[in-house]
Amino acid sequence: MNVKEHRSSEEKEDKESSLRVSRRGFLKGMATSAVAATMTSLPTPLLSEAEATPLPTGVREAVVRLNINDRIYRVKVKSHWTLLDVLRKEIGMTGTKKACDRGSCGACTVIVDGKAVYACSSLAIGMEGKKVLTVEGLRVGNELHPIQKAFSLHGGYQCGFCTSGQMMSAKALLDKNPKPTREEVRVALAGNLCRCAAYPKIIESVLSAAEKR
Amino acid sequence: MVIGKKVERVDAFERLVGEAKFASDIYLPGMLYAKMLRSPHPHAKVLGIDTTKAQILPGVKAILTPADVPDFAIHKREKPPTVVMPVLASTARYAGDEILAVAAVDEETAEQALELIRVNYQVLPFVLDAEEAVRPEAPKIYPEGNVIQEAADTVIRGDVEEGFKQADVILEEKYKTHLIQHTTMEPRVTVASWSGKKLTLWDSHKNPFRVRTEVARALNIKVNQVRILTPYIGGDFGDKAFVERQHIIAALLAKKTNRPVKLEFTREENFLGAHHRYPTTWYLKYGVKKDGTLTAIQVKLYADIGAYYHFDGAIASLEVPQRVYRCSNVKLEGYNVLTNKPEGGHMRCVGHPAGMFPQEVHMDRLAEKLGMDTLTFRLKNYARKEDGDQDRKFPYGSIGLEECARLGAERIGWEANWKKPGTSPGPVKRGLGVAFHSCRHGGISPPMSAVIKLDPDGTVELLSGLNDSGGWQKTTMAMIAAEELGLPYEAVAVTTGDTDVTTDTGPPGGSRGTTSAGIAVIAAARDAKNQLLEVAAELLKMKKESLEIKDGQIFVKGEERSVPYREILSKAPSPIVGRGSGKVPQNVLLHSFGAHFAEVAVDTRTGKVEILRLIASHDVGRVINRLGCENQIQGGAVMGIGYGLMERQFIDGRTGICLNPNMVDFKIPSILDVPLVEPIIVEPDDPYGPFGAKGVGEPPYSIPAPAIANAIYNAVGVRCNEIPINIRSILDGLEKGRG
Repeated sequence: MNVKEHRSSEEKEDKESSLRVSRRGFLKGMATSAVAATMTSLPTPLLSEAEATPLPTGVREAVVRLNINDRIYRVKVKSHWTLLDVLRKEIGMTGTKKACDRGSCGACTVIVDGKAVYACSSLAIGMEGKKVLTVEGLRVGNELHPIQKAFSLHGGYQCGFCTSGQMMSAKALLDKNPKPTREEVRVALAGNLCRCAAYPKIIESVLSAAEKR
Repeated sequence: MVIGKKVERVDAFERLVGEAKFASDIYLPGMLYAKMLRSPHPHAKVLGIDTTKAQILPGVKAILTPADVPDFAIHKREKPPTVVMPVLASTARYAGDEILAVAAVDEETAEQALELIRVNYQVLPFVLDAEEAVRPEAPKIYPEGNVIQEAADTVIRGDVEEGFKQADVILEEKYKTHLIQHTTMEPRVTVASWSGKKLTLWDSHKNPFRVRTEVARALNIKVNQVRILTPYIGGDFGDKAFVERQHIIAALLAKKTNRPVKLEFTREENFLGAHHRYPTTWYLKYGVKKDGTLTAIQVKLYADIGAYYHFDGAIASLEVPQRVYRCSNVKLEGYNVLTNKPEGGHMRCVGHPAGMFPQEVHMDRLAEKLGMDTLTFRLKNYARKEDGDQDRKFPYGSIGLEECARLGAERIGWEANWKKPGTSPGPVKRGLGVAFHSCRHGGISPPMSAVIKLDPDGTVELLSGLNDSGGWQKTTMAMIAAEELGLPYEAVAVTTGDTDVTTDTGPPGGSRGTTSAGIAVIAAARDAKNQLLEVAAELLKMKKESLEIKDGQIFVKGEERSVPYREILSKAPSPIVGRGSGKVPQNVLLHSFGAHFAEVAVDTRTGKVEILRLIASHDVGRVINRLGCENQIQGGAVMGIGYGLMERQFIDGRTGICLNPNMVDFKIPSILDVPLVEPIIVEPDDPYGPFGAKGVGEPPYSIPAPAIANAIYNAVGVRCNEIPINIRSILDGLEKGRG
């Protein structure tokens, strides 16, 4: 039961692969875009292994133009990749968490065109032309967004893994309903599970953020 | 004084802006993704593995089978019945057991590779129920049988037969609890990367030093060639405290491929391959006198620990009947029973929650039979300070149980609102219930160590081996350091989760974090202050004895004039590094106590239970980190509600496969499911803990289930002997009552 690395098939792939993108070529493509200035603040994107298999049936590749937190990113994606995976792996924004990858917990909640959605259940290619807001887009420089500040003051988090999702759901709520009742807060965050059960303080945090608006 | 205050967390900014890197957030250049192949059968011998098709799949970089891993035991019981958990299983003992691992360029390729691998299984008969597994004719999961009874699993105190003779009322009942999972929001994950001979592992784990030791041993390398990084942990609750297969596998794959390897569990895998709270079956027989004195406690317990023997689950749960209430005649028999199910392990408060449910319901029944108020009955019988744990003859260091009960009863209006069972009017009936908690978690245990660096600008670096698993541990330690040093809380930065830089102070488990690590922090602060005084004495050309430190200033004793830390530090010739450790107090028992009061509304038409209020009253010694403490009480209590009313992993009887390994069908409490839990903090001031503190991470979890079960009985006269309680339990009970 030895593992043999078949070099010959690897070499074959290099020639065949339509996925191989050189770093220079990738960056060149980015630099010509009008938002070249934002490149300096972009974390280094992780280039996926280009030696992977030829694309499976039905899977396409495309370069999508994503608007994340008011910045434009041009990313080469496979058609079945979720927004969550692209955010975390391709763009390097790991603030949005993967806890179930099945649309059953809410940890990956982001805001798309004003609506709270699960990034694990949204296709990256479906985000073309939409405005996506993630937790990274809340802060203003070194200042916390009022919602983040409220969570900090009231202790609305414990392990912190669900927290990005909670705050995004809170923002989506408060943008539509600036003075929610306690019950309305609970309903709005019903799709954000917290195993640490920080719920009492999460509610307090959201109500406090609402009050301060 | 910062002790007892509400503060923002020491790492609030990076956590809230999404920059705190959890192990699952680690992506390294060239990183490969590993996947485990899991047995579809609950019990099967692996006769052969054919990896040829997977080996040639482009993007597959390495495959590990049981033949490719060291002969290392994740854990091992050497006396009969011998039970070993190897790094990979050659005999699968539960559906989900790990047979082999693949590393590939991405997760999809790895998963595809698994599908291309052919495993030839010899399917064996399996057993899923503990009471079946103990029978001699049951399929043997291990050659020497399915039952492990350690010496400590039989507890005899006094003479139960005599005790039953003295009793006026004897009550026998059977109780059951079921299989649940921690369901940490961050699933299990390990990233392994070698640099020359040094291995670095990122993990979502609260006990990195232990992982380091075990991984070094498994790979036959030096401990100082292994670095474990665990700075942010997405939930633990006891699942992440030991060395696991994933640590060894990831390290081996990384070595083999010479690339970083990330092994991340899917949520489904987490429900199978991580640890669980083991199911229990209890037979309780208690005897009481007319005046309410307990005369005899007899218990038989089957702890269904699953496919491997992670630890003695029986004795962990038998803590409850032998400690909480005074009784001089006790006979306990515990059995750890192996079954072909996912492995049991430690989960919040370990054995206590499974034990509290049956005992607290049983006490409620006894009180009713005696015609005594159920709260009064408990208050009469709980073990007092001088009783201690009734085994070792030491007193408790402090005990605030009576005050917890008094304040909780007052808050819920026990006197005014308690009515006879089922007498509340209308189809939706209200009821009140109570449960007491006592456990030996929350105390002080080794190892204890801390390092404090004083920086030239007057700020502080605290290096602690205690990890922040979500209980605000970093913040609590920063508060303790600030208080002892006499510096502002904002001046303290805390580094945890790096075995290269911190020293072992054990995991935040058993509710020991605040106390054990806290004591070491105080010692380190004192050491730092002492060094500071020496430096000050030399600089000021005074005797050290004539100086003292107060509020961040160095004073000449008896005088007004002082010099701030910063001034001395900026002139200190060499860095000031304080270090400290601690000792376990002798001849005293450190226990945590609490009382929960629940008010429920039960709809007799639908069987639905609504929890109107849950008062969680806890003896915490002294609260240090108020927001952290409240979070633990509220969070633990809500989690405990899940244990009582919602959570259960179902294993299909015909196939041994888990039917609900996902977060839709395994229901943990959502924000809609819980009442506002009202914490009451009781502070008897423990003489041994740092600033009087005791731990509180676990106790709040252990008693909501029985408090609610007792409240349900009070509401509708239905006794639930099994958790989770559901609509069927209520409706069946109501039907039985009518008939």
